Amino acid sequence: MEFEKNITLPLLRSLTANETNNALCIEGRFYTYRELATAIAKIRRKLHKVAETHIGLVANNDLETYASIFALWLEGKCYVPLHPGQPLQRCMDIIGQVGIHVVLDSSEATRYHEQNVMMTAQMEGDTPTMDAPKPCTDEETAYILFTSGSTGRPKGVPISRGNLAAFVDAFYQLGFRLNASDRCLQMFDLTFDLSVQSYLLPLLNGACAYTVDPEMIKYQAVFELLDEYHLTFALMVPSVIHYLRPYMDEIQVDEMRYSLFCGEALNMSDTDQWSRCVPNAEIWNVYGPTECTIYCTAYQYKRGKENKGANGIMGIGRAMSGVKTVIADDNGNICKAGEKGELCLAGNQLTQGYWKNDEKNHEAFFHIQGERYYKTGDICQMDKDGDILYAGRKDSQVKIQGYRIELSEIECVARKFYDDKRAVVALPIYDEARNCTIHLVVEDLDKGKANALTDYLKNFLPAYMMPTEIHYMEHFPLNVNNKIDRKKIALSIK
Amino acid sequence: MEKTEVLATLEKIFSEVLKCPDIKLDYSMTTKDVDGWDSITNMMIISDVEKHYGIHLKLREIIKMKNVGGLCDVIMERAE
Repeated sequence: MEFEKNITLPLLRSLTANETNNALCIEGRFYTYRELATAIAKIRRKLHKVAETHIGLVANNDLETYASIFALWLEGKCYVPLHPGQPLQRCMDIIGQVGIHVVLDSSEATRYHEQNVMMTAQMEGDTPTMDAPKPCTDEETAYILFTSGSTGRPKGVPISRGNLAAFVDAFYQLGFRLNASDRCLQMFDLTFDLSVQSYLLPLLNGACAYTVDPEMIKYQAVFELLDEYHLTFALMVPSVIHYLRPYMDEIQVDEMRYSLFCGEALNMSDTDQWSRCVPNAEIWNVYGPTECTIYCTAYQYKRGKENKGANGIMGIGRAMSGVKTVIADDNGNICKAGEKGELCLAGNQLTQGYWKNDEKNHEAFFHIQGERYYKTGDICQMDKDGDILYAGRKDSQVKIQGYRIELSEIECVARKFYDDKRAVVALPIYDEARNCTIHLVVEDLDKGKANALTDYLKNFLPAYMMPTEIHYMEHFPLNVNNKIDRKKIALSIK
Repeated sequence: MEKTEVLATLEKIFSEVLKCPDIKLDYSMTTKDVDGWDSITNMMIISDVEKHYGIHLKLREIIKMKNVGGLCDVIMERAE
């Protein structure tokens, strides 16, 4: 079993060999591997009598939450993160879709009253010794993450133990090496799969993972950690260095060995400046949708040389080990070098399919010569060397600070407020610095409902999907195809 | 310069940036307490503050400001 080989056994070894080393740094407080093991053991004991496999996990930033992840995996179970800051409605939708009956919550009090909630912070146990891991196959699910769904409800992406094991192997095959002296950034919500690389790889190798205080402004919290602890490994979304750009003369982290970027388009110019802040680091642009486990293609940035890219955006490189990439046209035919088409992915990191969603699976997956591929919706081209260049999206999905947002999800929710009696459009608006905000435009003259609409949206959408402004227009302009002319609307509200 | 004056100026700046007229701030408020105060709007607020007071804030100063009161303190220190 690959999960056992790449994850379970190294984890158990790491927990015992590095007992007194730091495993986690959370809001300024360090936790050793022994403390982590003790927390895992106490949670595992309570999980013995739980029959369910898919367990809700309140995604707090504390020791018990991370310990819960490992406790679940060692018991052959799977975690489904529930963000404490997201609307309860959204979390209940996730619980309903998966059929969750048990939730692990490290908070003082829980907001889940219809489930069997196990309060992990109150559990007792002071020994790090634990039973052998429960035998489990690679086909079992490791986690299910929910991403923005274009029909108004989030859709679940199950990632198997085999998928995750394949990712870990591919990570090492890029040449990345971590050891007990490494200090690694973990800046992501546990509902975002980049968090998995960020907490897992350090802990498998005896290193320490430094998490970000969710109450702080992200790019400030990241800078604080980089500066105070001289981190050696950081996976970040590009917007962090974009926001830090005016302050780069204050940033110097000579100790950084690896600086990785993922989650959205990486600006070439920002990277050139950043390379001076981390002069000894290998800088990589990595790419991949949640559906293909964390990231699955990689490009190494070269200092002082011409880097591959298009329109100021850095290329996304080549498939990692075990992954296959293909650029296909609308008919599923493979494009020639230099020809733009949709990037499709296959291989060991690919999800078996969306959670209980045959319709979406039918749309998103197809076969080429017997191999199952996923349509990413990213428009790319392959150059003559086989490196992939990113050109944009096929549809109405945008990335803001790495978060995936289906504009139609926002539109669906807004239309529900009006009982589907009004048309709405959600538009991404870019300022001079290329920062993106979402604006909602309603085809209505009545601005009086703005507060009620905002409150309604807040009940369904996570904070990062909330429109920053709501506009009103009497009639939406139509284009030659009689469809709503989004470009015209965007121009008129600017 | 009085701290209360600075607070009043901040209320004006926040109102403009967050497009929320007549915003009322107090010294203890953090990003949690103010709707729409996040990474992007924070940059815009800092930028407006720098322009208004003719100062340039270093990142290390900015991260020390844990709340509105902290921002007032830094402004008062630098704007003399």
